[in-house]
Amino acid sequence: MRWWQIRKRDADLERELRSDLELEEEEQRERGLSPEHARDAARRAFGNPTLIKEQTREAWGWTTLERSLQDLHYALRQLRRSPGFALAAILTLALGIGASTAIFSVADAVLLRPLPYPDPQRIMRVWEQAPDGHRMNLAQPNFEDFRAQNHSFVSLAEYGYGFESVTGGGEPVRVTVAAVSSDFFKSLGVEPFLGRAFAADEMRPHGAPAILVSYGYWQQNLGSAKDLSEFHLAISGTDYSVVGVMPDGFDFPSGTSAWIPSELDPDTSSRTAHNWRGIGRIRDGMTIAQARADLGTIAGRLKTQYGKEVDLDNASVVPLADAMVGDVRTALLVLFGAVGLLLLIACANVAGLLIARTSARAKELAVRAALGAGRARLARQFLAESFVLSLAAGVVGVLFAGLAIRMFPAILPADLPRQQGIAMNLPVLLFALAVTAAVALSLGLFTTWRAGGADLRDALNAGAHHHSGSGAVQRLRGVLVAGEIAVTLVVLVSAGLLGRSFMRLVSTSPGFRSGHLITMQFSLPPDMSAPDSGAGQSQPAAIARQASLMDDLIARLRALPAAENAGLVGALPVAGGDNLADGDFLILNGIKPPANFDDWDVIAHNPLHVGHALYCVASRGYFGTLEVPLIRGRFFGDQDNLNSINVALISETLARQRWPNQDPIGQIIDFGNMDGILKPLTIVGIVGDIRARGLDLPPAGVIYVDYRQRGMNANSTPTILMRTTAPEDEIVPAARAIFHNIAPDAPVTFSTFAAEMGGWLAERRFLLLLVAAFAVAALALVSVGLYGVIAFFVARRTQEIGIRMAIGAQRGDVLRLVLGEGARLAAFGVAIGIVASLAITRLLSSLLFGIGTTDPFTYAAVAVLLSLIALAASYIPARRAMRVDPVTALRYE
Amino acid sequence: MPGHAQLLPGTLDLLILKAVSLGPLHGYGVLLRIGQISGQALLIEQGALYPALFRLVRQGLLTARWGTSDNNRRAKFYELTAAGRKRLRKEADGWNRLAGAIASALAARPEEI
Repeated sequence: MRWWQIRKRDADLERELRSDLELEEEEQRERGLSPEHARDAARRAFGNPTLIKEQTREAWGWTTLERSLQDLHYALRQLRRSPGFALAAILTLALGIGASTAIFSVADAVLLRPLPYPDPQRIMRVWEQAPDGHRMNLAQPNFEDFRAQNHSFVSLAEYGYGFESVTGGGEPVRVTVAAVSSDFFKSLGVEPFLGRAFAADEMRPHGAPAILVSYGYWQQNLGSAKDLSEFHLAISGTDYSVVGVMPDGFDFPSGTSAWIPSELDPDTSSRTAHNWRGIGRIRDGMTIAQARADLGTIAGRLKTQYGKEVDLDNASVVPLADAMVGDVRTALLVLFGAVGLLLLIACANVAGLLIARTSARAKELAVRAALGAGRARLARQFLAESFVLSLAAGVVGVLFAGLAIRMFPAILPADLPRQQGIAMNLPVLLFALAVTAAVALSLGLFTTWRAGGADLRDALNAGAHHHSGSGAVQRLRGVLVAGEIAVTLVVLVSAGLLGRSFMRLVSTSPGFRSGHLITMQFSLPPDMSAPDSGAGQSQPAAIARQASLMDDLIARLRALPAAENAGLVGALPVAGGDNLADGDFLILNGIKPPANFDDWDVIAHNPLHVGHALYCVASRGYFGTLEVPLIRGRFFGDQDNLNSINVALISETLARQRWPNQDPIGQIIDFGNMDGILKPLTIVGIVGDIRARGLDLPPAGVIYVDYRQRGMNANSTPTILMRTTAPEDEIVPAARAIFHNIAPDAPVTFSTFAAEMGGWLAERRFLLLLVAAFAVAALALVSVGLYGVIAFFVARRTQEIGIRMAIGAQRGDVLRLVLGEGARLAAFGVAIGIVASLAITRLLSSLLFGIGTTDPFTYAAVAVLLSLIALAASYIPARRAMRVDPVTALRYE
Repeated sequence: MPGHAQLLPGTLDLLILKAVSLGPLHGYGVLLRIGQISGQALLIEQGALYPALFRLVRQGLLTARWGTSDNNRRAKFYELTAAGRKRLRKEADGWNRLAGAIASALAARPEEI
């Protein structure tokens, strides 16, 4: 039966009863009674029509729905009668639901949603694995062996990417270009949406240069042209024909604007040059473990076959989705945990409010029970109220979450993968609905359980008292608040640990003075491409052209009135530390320098002649600008030029590590594997350490070479650093003009070192900000909750306090009584919270820097803070208690 | 209530079917008819009557229609359906067998055993 028929049937019953009643009335009249007496007699004989209706409806069996509506109606009326309570409860829950929904939207987009490729679970990242377990990118010959010998992959491909200056579509632009091997697109399962993929002829050494562009690049730089035949793009002096456009939304590797075949330039035959990232699609039905074992076997074979020529002995295979997310997973899980705790606190707070309300409504409930409302009926009533509250909170929470999602682009770290997918979509809404339902159910069951526990007759008897809350209610609220304090402490400790780590990180000296530094990252003009690591030939002419251009640039920049100093480096240290290459170098002392790379490999077999360091091209001015101190020896000088002996500076750490008891100055080394120039380097100086790879890593050993002697190779990100006290917006236009004048086709990006560091710190900052925000919210909720409990405590004891004061208690005694109650709860909560934190914060350990998860300072500070807040929250009701007038209190009901 | 018999569970439906089988009746009329045919020994509560009427209609044993009473008033009349008539016969037989069995049981004397 449909609900509209229900209404009709109801009317029908009403009519039937009325007509039957009238018939009876007439019968009575026929017996000679007067009309009034007849009506009364008829009613007496007939019984209570409302009761009959009720009972008949029961028999109809559809009353559950009607009763639920009635319950909802009643709940709404109850809440409208206490708007303050309703508002507080709804906002509290909305905060919890909204925050968890917003965080879920991030987790959903970044962690949970499958990658936008066909059968994404079969796409794997592939690495070589060293004996110590760390993953390395693939070396070209190893990749080829993996590809030829494996039985588990449908396709296996390699790719690499970097910033390139691309000209041909209007202005020269500096964009990410990826070099990808055949089968790269097949592994991902993606095809160009316009044009075609690379032809076989384009995927071989010295083939016809072809390029695929991203949808965005096509729109912005190629005017969305349907006919691509006209378009040619120049990268590093090579002219590529545009053959296709990848579909909208295809973004792998992240941020790539164009893809070129990796086979065009033959790579080195070294088996330890880990230049390529591996990606592949495993066969249908093949497990990751099988694929890993398969490649591992091949790696083991390579190890046996090539011995010292390889540094792998195993392979690593990880689903692409997991590999992309990497470290972010922990951070997001921490956020999710924190927001879950916040939701828990919000629920506990509202539960506390509901208990207070239930005990204030005890009389009403008792009356309803006395009038025949069964326990089930009352339970339904509580459920209905929780349902109405939670639903309203859910709606407001989703609005909150929607706002947060809109703000995310501004606050999310720029390098958070897959963040474009963050939106208020169906899964997010379903999550919000599920959270809302869970909140409604738990609150409803909680209050029902509470009401079930209270003896209604007692309540009715006690109804005369204003505050009928029993000791049990007070105790339960106390337990709730102590629990809230414990949970808040966990969130606070997490925020504290992250905050302390962050402070330590930003106050860690990078090894140089980092203020007032302008950074200019640029690409070399195409005609100045430096010696190529693969070709193995030096290109003195190119280096000379580079050097003269750089000298010119630096001299002009230095001449700016606001410039204090300027210097050049191959990659921005710390913030751009990942761009620094590292590798083995040879210590030649006495040995004949290698004539070619085969010689090089032979010498490298002897560990006595090998060291490991970062490779960094720099100018003399670099050290001056950063104020990196000279420990011993000398800096680069004017005497170092293309024709003189090639010199190197090493960092203090490298000197200590590799030459512990010797003088490194005067040692002759070879780092030709980095730039393709086999000319040996003589160490002439030791300079101070910098944390080149990031503030969170100890200073690494670095070998600096002079840009005038070795040049910037294709892998570098040339950067000029300028120290100036002038504001950024004054100096940048002047510097831009100089660049435009001297190197018009070298795209340049201006920034400050602080801003670049800000980007480097963004992920940590984001995590810290959110956890801190949750901690503040938790603190606010818990203080309100505690205030409520203590206020209730005072109200319940007003009479007792009055008596105490009447018989001579001082205000100080009253204060102690009330604050003591607050302190008792706080101590209880803090103790549990510390134990819980010790267990839970272990999950944070990978996100901390410089402190352990049991950092006593953080724990102590948080415990003190929370206790102070608890006392402050108790103090307000305590003051009210002190002002109690004994005479009034004694009359107080 | 002195003079009133206690209504056994399950017998209300039987009584209603019987009352209606004697001629179409409106709800209150059913009540009066039962009182009348039981010699005022069985009095039915209205609170039990209307739900029972509803139940019997839903089971298809009675039909209900709006009609006009003797004194020209609109009322809802209940009539027995074919299924209702069959059910009445069955229930009545069952009841008579039970009543007979109980009566003979109660009439038993020691020497008969």
